[in-house]
Amino acid sequence: MAESRRTFLKQSAATVAVVSLPSCAPTAAESPDALVPATLRAVGEAVLPEELGADGRERAVAAFELWSEGLEPVAEMAHPYLVPETVFTGPDPRPGWAAQLSGLDIESGKRFAASFGEVGVPERRRILEPHVRRAGPDFGRPENAAHIAVALAAHFFASPIATDLCYGRAIAKQQCRGLAGAGDEPAPLPGAAS
Amino acid sequence: MSQVIESDVCIIGGGISAAMVAERLAERTEASITVVEAGGRTASLEERTATRARMLAYGENPYPNDHIPGQTGTGEMYQSMVLGGAAMHWGGAVPRYSPEDFRVRSLYGVGYDWPISFDDLEPYYQEAEERMGVAGEQGPPEYDPRSKPYPMPPLPLSWNLERMREWTDAAGIPFWTQPWARNTEPWQGRNVCQRCDTCAVCPTGAKYTPDFAFDRLLAAARIRLQDRTLIRSLNLASGSDRIESATGFHQDAPDQPLEFRARTFVLAAGHSWSSHLLLLSANSRFPNGLANSTDNVGRYMTGHWFASGFIELPMRLYPGIFPNNSLLSHRFASPGPLDRYLRHDIRLWESTVGREARLATDDGRVLWGDEVMADWRARTRSTATARIRSYYDVIPTPDSRLTLDPGMRNAHGDPMPRIDYAAGQATLDLEPHTHETLLGRFDELARAAGGRMMSTRASRLFEHPGGGCRMGDDPATSVVDRWGRTHDHENLFVVGAPTIVSSGCANGTLTFCALSLMAAEEIAKG
Repeated sequence: MAESRRTFLKQSAATVAVVSLPSCAPTAAESPDALVPATLRAVGEAVLPEELGADGRERAVAAFELWSEGLEPVAEMAHPYLVPETVFTGPDPRPGWAAQLSGLDIESGKRFAASFGEVGVPERRRILEPHVRRAGPDFGRPENAAHIAVALAAHFFASPIATDLCYGRAIAKQQCRGLAGAGDEPAPLPGAAS
Repeated sequence: MSQVIESDVCIIGGGISAAMVAERLAERTEASITVVEAGGRTASLEERTATRARMLAYGENPYPNDHIPGQTGTGEMYQSMVLGGAAMHWGGAVPRYSPEDFRVRSLYGVGYDWPISFDDLEPYYQEAEERMGVAGEQGPPEYDPRSKPYPMPPLPLSWNLERMREWTDAAGIPFWTQPWARNTEPWQGRNVCQRCDTCAVCPTGAKYTPDFAFDRLLAAARIRLQDRTLIRSLNLASGSDRIESATGFHQDAPDQPLEFRARTFVLAAGHSWSSHLLLLSANSRFPNGLANSTDNVGRYMTGHWFASGFIELPMRLYPGIFPNNSLLSHRFASPGPLDRYLRHDIRLWESTVGREARLATDDGRVLWGDEVMADWRARTRSTATARIRSYYDVIPTPDSRLTLDPGMRNAHGDPMPRIDYAAGQATLDLEPHTHETLLGRFDELARAAGGRMMSTRASRLFEHPGGGCRMGDDPATSVVDRWGRTHDHENLFVVGAPTIVSSGCANGTLTFCALSLMAAEEIAKG
C-alpha cells in the first residue's frame, strides 16, 4: 500500500511539473541568481511535511525549482473583473530568494557553527521562524512570498497533490478529468487514512 | 487619401453581440458583411493549454495582447479589446432574465418597463442558447419559463453540489443547476467539457467563445474581418441623417485612414465603447453626438449589485471536484406581490475559504510541515464552506452616465470614456431593507443545514453592466427602438448590452445576445 501511495505522489508531482513548464526565463544554471540546491533542500526538510518522505520532498522541491525558473517578472496578470487598468505581477523575487539562502547559511554558521544544511531541522526552524511568522497566517501566492521558505511551502500546499493528501482522496483539482465521475465521492488514496 | 472598404453591413466591434449578428445575417441573407474589431486575435484554442498552465502557475493573463495600451477609460469597464471581446474571459453563465424584469414599473411601481416583454424575447433566448450551445437543467417552470428544452443536458452536479442540494431541499428553496455555455455533448465541432476547473480559459473548446463563430464565418468566406482597426468616427451622409461611413485606421498604419461604407451600420462595441463612439462622432448637426438628439446617449448606465457570504456547513465536502458549477435559484426573482421591492437570485458554490492550508494558527503559532497538514485536516474533516451570493437589480437613473473625459486621451488625442455609475433613489432608499432581507435569507439557509454564517459582504460594483443606449418606444427617453435601431439614424443599429433598460438580477450575457439576434432580424430586412 505504501508503495502505491508513493507511486501516486510521484505521478502527481510529475503533473505539477508539467503544468509549470512553459517558460521564457533563463534556466537556473544560467542565472547568477540561481537558488543553491542544497540549501533549498534543507529548507524543504524544515517546511514540507515529513509524511511525503525523502522522495516526496525531493519531488516537491524539484517542482518548485522548475516553477521558479519559469517565473516571468512583471508579467501581465489575468484581468480583475471590471478593472480597466492592466495589473502586473511583481519584480523578480529570485535574486532576493537566492540571497536569503546564502543568508541562512551565514546565520547558521554564526549561530551553530555549521551550514544551514548541516544543522538539524529544529535549528533550521529556529532560523526560519521569524521570516515565516511575518508572512502568516495565510500562504498567499508563492511568487509574492517575501521569503524563500514561505514560497516553497506555499507552492507545495497549493498543489493538487497537497489537497489530495489533506483529504486522503483523489480529487485531482485543476486536472482535466472529464464529466464522468463528477457526482462520485472521490476515491480514497491508496493507504491514506481519510 | 482614405482606403475605402464597402459592404452591405458594417459591424463595429468583434465581441459576442457582433458574433450573434454576423452569424444570423450570414445565414439568412446574402448581404456582404464586414466586421471591424479594434483589437487583434489572442491565444488560439491550440495555445490555450499552455496559457492556462501559466495562469495556474503564475496568475498570468491567459489571453496575451487582449487589449490596446492607452485605449481605456475610467470606471468599471472591461479591459478586453480583442476578437471575441470580454466573452473570451467569461465563465459561460447564461441564465435568462425573468419575465418580471421587463415589467417592473407595471408590476411593482419602480424603475422602467422595457418596450418588449419576456415573451417577445423568448425565441431569441432559445436561438442564442442554440448558437452558443447551452447545457441546462429545467428549473420549476414558474421560475424558469422556456418554450423548448435546453439544447444540451445539464452539467452534472458534483458530489459536493449533490450534498448541498440535499441541504437546500431541506430549506424549502428550489435550486437547480446554473445553465452554462459549455458543452455536455459535442456541439458545432467543439469538445465536451473536461472539468478542468479553469473556465476563464477553457483548454478544450467546450466553453463557447465568439472567436469560434468568427472562424466559422471566415472559413465560409461569409464575413470580411478587419481586425486591429480602431474606428474613431461615424459620419453622416451629406444632407441626410443616414450614416455614410465609419472612419479609422489599422494599428500598424495609423497615418493611413480607412473608410468603411455600408448600407447599414451595427454598433456592437459593448457597454462602454458603443456610447463612447457615438459621443465621439459629434458633428454640426448632432453637436452632442450621434443618436443623441435627446441627450440620452451614455445615460442609464446600469448593472446589478450583490450581497454575498460564506457559510460553514457541518458536512465533509471535497473542494476541487467541480468548482465551476453552481446551484441557482430564481425563486425570489419572481416573488409575486411585494410590500417593498426586492428581487434577487441566489447562487451557491463549493468554496475553500477558511479551509486552506495555513502557516500559523489563529493565535499566531507557526506551523511546520506535518503540523500544517494536521491543522488543515482538522479544519476539513467534518466541516465545509459554501459560498452564497445574490444579485439584486438596481433601479437605473439618467445620472448614471458615460461621458468623454477630456483629461484622459489615447495616443491619437481622442478623449476616453469615463463612467460615473449611480443607482436610482429607489434603490438607495431600499438598500437597508434589501441587505436585511438578503442576509436574513442567507442565515436561514445556513441554519437549515445546522451551519452558520462565517462572513457577509455587500457590494456596489455594477456587475454585468449595460445601458448607455437604452431601448424604448419614446425617442425622448431612449436612444434606440425595440429592434436596436437608433431613433435619429435609420441605418444605424446598436446591439447588445448598451440597449438594456435594466440589468435584472441575473448574469446579462444571454440577454445581450438575445437582443442582438432580435436586432439582426430587423437588420436583415435591409
